[in-house]
Amino acid sequence: MAKRHLFFLACLLPTFSPGVSTASPADPVEFYKSTVRPLLAERCYTCHTDARMAGLRVDGREALLKGGQSGPAIVPGRADESLLIRAVSHTHKSLKMPPDGRLSDEQIESLKTWITDGAHFDIDSTAAPPETGPSDPVWTAEQREFWAFQPIRTVTVPAVRNRAWPSLAIDYFVLAKLEEKGMQPAPPADKRTLLRRVTYDLIGLPPSPEDYEAFSNEESPEAFEKVVERLLDSPLYGERWGRHWLDVARYAEEDAMGLGPDPFPNSFRYRDWVVAAFNQDMPYDLFVKAQIAGDLLEDESETKLKPGLGLLGLGPWYYKIVEPPKARADELHDRIDVLSRGFLGLTVACARCHDHKYDPISTRDYYALGGVLTSTEYKEYPLAKPDVVAAYDKHKQKIDDLEKAAAQLLEDEAKTLGFRLAKESARYLFAAWRVASGRGTAEAIARQENLDKETLERWGVYLNSPKEHFYLDWWNEIGPDADLAKVRLYAERFQAFVDDLVQEQKEIEEHNRRVIEEHKKSTDPYDLFCVGCNAVTKALERDKYMLWTELFEAKMETNGKDKKRGVLFYSDESIERFLLDKTKADLEEKRSELESLKKSLPERYPFLHIIADKKEPQDMRRHVRGDPYSLGEVVPRRFLSIFGDKERFQQGSGRLRLAGQIASAENPLTARVLVNRVWHHHFGHGLVRSPGNFGQVGDRPSHPELLDYLAGRFIDSGWSVKQLHREILLSSTYRMSSKHSEPNFQVDPENRWLWRANRRRLDVEALRDSMLFVTAELDVTAGGPAFEWEDGPKRRTLYGTVSRYRLERLLALFDFPDPAATADLREVTNTPLQRLFFLNSELITDRSRALAARLAKEAGDDPEARIRRAYRILFGRSPGAEELQLAQGFLAEMNGQQPWRQLAQVLLSSNEFVFVD
Amino acid sequence: MRQAAPPLTLTRRQALSTCGGFGMVGLAALLAKRSVLRAAAPANPFTPKPPHFEPKAKHVIFLVMNGGMSQVDTFDPKPMLDKHHGKPMPGGNPKTERKTGNLMKSPFRFRKFGQSGIEVSEIFPHIGERIDDICVLRSMHTDIPNHEPSLFMLNCGENLVRRPSLGSWLLYGLGTENQNLPGYIVMCPGTPVVGSPLWNSSFLPAVYQGTYIPNNETDPRKMIRFLQSEDPKPAGQRRQLDLLKRLNRLHIEERHGDSQLEATIQSMEVAFRMQTEAPDAFDLSQESEKTRARYGEGDFARGCLMARRLVERGVRMVQIYFGDKQPWDNHDDIMVHQKLARQADPAVAALLDDLKSRGLLDETLIIFGGEFGRTPAVEVSSRVKVQNGRDHNPFGFSMWLAGGGVKGGMAYGATDDFGFKAAEKPMHVHDLHATILHLLGFDHTRLTYHYSGRDFRLTDVHGEVVKEILA
Repeated sequence: MAKRHLFFLACLLPTFSPGVSTASPADPVEFYKSTVRPLLAERCYTCHTDARMAGLRVDGREALLKGGQSGPAIVPGRADESLLIRAVSHTHKSLKMPPDGRLSDEQIESLKTWITDGAHFDIDSTAAPPETGPSDPVWTAEQREFWAFQPIRTVTVPAVRNRAWPSLAIDYFVLAKLEEKGMQPAPPADKRTLLRRVTYDLIGLPPSPEDYEAFSNEESPEAFEKVVERLLDSPLYGERWGRHWLDVARYAEEDAMGLGPDPFPNSFRYRDWVVAAFNQDMPYDLFVKAQIAGDLLEDESETKLKPGLGLLGLGPWYYKIVEPPKARADELHDRIDVLSRGFLGLTVACARCHDHKYDPISTRDYYALGGVLTSTEYKEYPLAKPDVVAAYDKHKQKIDDLEKAAAQLLEDEAKTLGFRLAKESARYLFAAWRVASGRGTAEAIARQENLDKETLERWGVYLNSPKEHFYLDWWNEIGPDADLAKVRLYAERFQAFVDDLVQEQKEIEEHNRRVIEEHKKSTDPYDLFCVGCNAVTKALERDKYMLWTELFEAKMETNGKDKKRGVLFYSDESIERFLLDKTKADLEEKRSELESLKKSLPERYPFLHIIADKKEPQDMRRHVRGDPYSLGEVVPRRFLSIFGDKERFQQGSGRLRLAGQIASAENPLTARVLVNRVWHHHFGHGLVRSPGNFGQVGDRPSHPELLDYLAGRFIDSGWSVKQLHREILLSSTYRMSSKHSEPNFQVDPENRWLWRANRRRLDVEALRDSMLFVTAELDVTAGGPAFEWEDGPKRRTLYGTVSRYRLERLLALFDFPDPAATADLREVTNTPLQRLFFLNSELITDRSRALAARLAKEAGDDPEARIRRAYRILFGRSPGAEELQLAQGFLAEMNGQQPWRQLAQVLLSSNEFVFVD
Repeated sequence: MRQAAPPLTLTRRQALSTCGGFGMVGLAALLAKRSVLRAAAPANPFTPKPPHFEPKAKHVIFLVMNGGMSQVDTFDPKPMLDKHHGKPMPGGNPKTERKTGNLMKSPFRFRKFGQSGIEVSEIFPHIGERIDDICVLRSMHTDIPNHEPSLFMLNCGENLVRRPSLGSWLLYGLGTENQNLPGYIVMCPGTPVVGSPLWNSSFLPAVYQGTYIPNNETDPRKMIRFLQSEDPKPAGQRRQLDLLKRLNRLHIEERHGDSQLEATIQSMEVAFRMQTEAPDAFDLSQESEKTRARYGEGDFARGCLMARRLVERGVRMVQIYFGDKQPWDNHDDIMVHQKLARQADPAVAALLDDLKSRGLLDETLIIFGGEFGRTPAVEVSSRVKVQNGRDHNPFGFSMWLAGGGVKGGMAYGATDDFGFKAAEKPMHVHDLHATILHLLGFDHTRLTYHYSGRDFRLTDVHGEVVKEILA
């Protein structure tokens, strides 16, 4: 990284003589960042950045060289000749800057040093971009002719020898390949297997016993077609296929934000929109466009297309984690990655630092798209009338203000009380000594001396505990027999010290208040990110501070948990007995008003986490080698150059145009990529086995003509995903069994050429949902806010909270993809930790119990009938003789130890339940 | 079905030469070869696998002083800092997270330890006494003065964008020796900043993510999720498994011994054994009173003792975060370091002793340090209440390594006179990662995983093995 090299250079520069502050700084850029920029930001930026008073900006080298109405502001290397220095040191006859007071000598000295050294900046945001940057690479013929960039061809169905086997066009493509390789397709799957497969494929649940029965009894040739239609019409379909898309969309309800999760409370509106889009068979091109430019499309209702923009609004945000340029660069990386891999199967994010190593994608392409995205900003878009929004916001503001006022009142009272009690420290100390030396109880002495008993007790505890300072060391040295006058003297001295301490701290706080107030005016982006981090304040020295905090503050421990209250710190209930009636009434009033306001606060109006174009869209400057501090030429906003259309985007950010170019029948990738994703979910592998990478290093299509055939049909059908399902599911190819064939296996162990169906493990959603389904517990309520896992609701897994901060461990255990990046596909793993879930999870023990209860209810007391019922529900078949015998033997053996629950658990853990043939 | 990929897939260099030089035929052949490799990959993704060359270390224990441990108060003595106490840093302070003021000497004294005479702060006397087994890295540096990116860098080799963690890479590359325990265990009494993404597997198969264990939990049966049933343990679990096995056998017979079905049958047996083996590993009551006393009090000490027991049982990597959130982040008051060190010092020393006496130190690499260091200048920003602490410092900091093929009694590299920046032999976290992988038998440029169009590695395009510290 360029940054690192810079850093090493800095280290190699000669070191300086310590103690001489005007000596040349070792690293002029660092010096600028640490000393000069904050100074300029504090004293000059208000007028001399965008406002350009007198034509001058001071936030860039070129701007200073050019200067304002009075001419160049600096002459690098010659501080004394620089107008800037003459103006700030008030040696110029008329220009005396800043108008609100001369800089300190030290500050002027810093500016001089900086100019003498050459006036270095880290980034010059005012520099004119180079006239000509690197031009777009010229793609070679070989690159342009790569299969993925070729237009989708019109293909003819190939001839086959076995004309009896194919049912639909796709079968010809598949069979032709098999015949070419000398393989035979597997026999068709039996009806039960086929029904189970298609049901899981389309709705992510197993068939019910009734479904099995109906299908096996239906003799008509359209029986399977009817099943497919029934499933496509089910609202459960969108939940299954919506989830597949949410993997691509790296959907999450919580972002990771340092110390905890940062929720997107309305994220579910994007999830529900995706589910609905699948259920309504929204044309895929519109589905794509909505997710890039939903706000800019003709839209009859706000909720039809806008929620799709959640794709971009709900990405990971890093702006609270790291300084803005870096955060923004990584956010951009994510957005480009999700758009390009998700829709186009291209890994454009690879071109962030250098031209793509394998594919015809240049860094200029990356920043051309980058300009589109950086011309947008995050927006919470209300789905309510403006007056509702305004009323809510006002109401909420009232609550916030009142809460703040109540807290402030308490804090002020606590302080006042603390200081008042501190004024009596000597009396308390003396009394505490009397208690400690056995001269009476705290209660008695407090009464005698007219002191507050609790305060006296607190002093007692405090004085006898270890302290972080030495101001009370004398306490341990005076014994019970000490001279009274001496004790009094020590106590009085201590009080005098505390009086001074309170005074000193008050002065410091006043000073700091002014500094912070002043600092708030800064427009430096870093200051906005890290508020107060650059404000130089004063503080008590450590020992004094320790005493201060032990007396007056509710000090937080480093673990953030325990509050160690100061001796004289009273708050909440403990302070009430000290309050004046008037104050008490005031507090009471605030509290009751707060309570009623809170009660009457309506639910917050619904809103969307989306994006919107900025007022002034701008092209972006290339980050040289990916370094956001090293800016190259401006790259005009436009689409990827390999697609030929180099026209720059003029309208707004260019999102609408971009959306049109992606969701276009002319785009060779968009339809192919989607078709391949659908294929992947039906067969366990895509025709291209790298669904998010159609580039050089990605896979090549096993059946390129088939891919084009399907893509063409898909576009012709009006981008109907449901029609695509039909095209695939009604084929002979889909209906093959997963039966092994040794000769075929020898030729094609991976089943690349589709000689049989692939056996697949249930994913985590199908697994959990099925368990709830077979026990008749599944709650199919659709949509709405995500559930919390700890609450253990019985809704579909799709509706459980997905967090980028702490992914639910059940999800993580069963290969749920990292929701911080777009996922091409899920790896399927098999580990002992997963098996522990089947052995011991609460989920499985509860389901086993529920299944046992269901069997008892539905099949009566006869054990054999119950076993048969279990096999019907779980597998849609009768048990074999041996299975029946094994189960009966087990029940007998486990007699008296919840045998049915235990049997149910075994069946729910069995491979037959967890795998789909 | 897609299984975990074998560790040595297409390397970047191979892919480059193929794409750049020889066109499609070679690449297609390579891809085809990879597919076959995938199909033939062992069903158990944790089966021990040999690395590229004979490793020095087989296990890793990574002790994270989360929050950022100050170097000038612990392992990097700076007499010049004492001399210039209260004066400005010549040339100004580099920009860190927050505003810093004048230089501030360490409140702690340093003294020479061991034969090597390496100086260590008085707050780590026990570690000091073992300095001849330790290689102090005094010229570490990283990129960004904020916790999140630097924690990501330390764990995953990248500042913000999600990447697999070091432990995930190790598990992916090496598998693990004991199939009855998770191979990569992460302990924290709570959660460090950023949380589980620090031990995530990102685009590597999810099976390689770290298994989190709250080491403030004292019931050994509750440490791994689902290790024990909420219900009273069913007496018949073994019988359940026997029935399950018979049923699965009938099922698989009709399916020509499908390897993935076979694999689940095997892993169920492993899970069954794990139920007894894992609590045994976490059960510290099996250790003598005397041993426990040597480690000392507190969650971190318990973690160190558990780490020893886990490594003894063949766990590949154990990582312990010192505490919840960020205990070492002492912006306000550097004296807090002393309290933290009081807990860390005896525990780490006892861990070193125990590993050594068992002959395990040679094959176990201990890594000790935080995500960055702290400034030698006092923090004066409005975020602090008392000006006795230090801000974050990515420019220079100290970590140390011990065992696992690393030289003992050595201090590598140096910061400048005041301890601000790595000055001699700067060692970036990428270099540390390259060196760690080397010790475990990997050429860090060849431990790759193909994802999203290219081959990724822990060190991205960076990293140099620091040969000087290898024993």
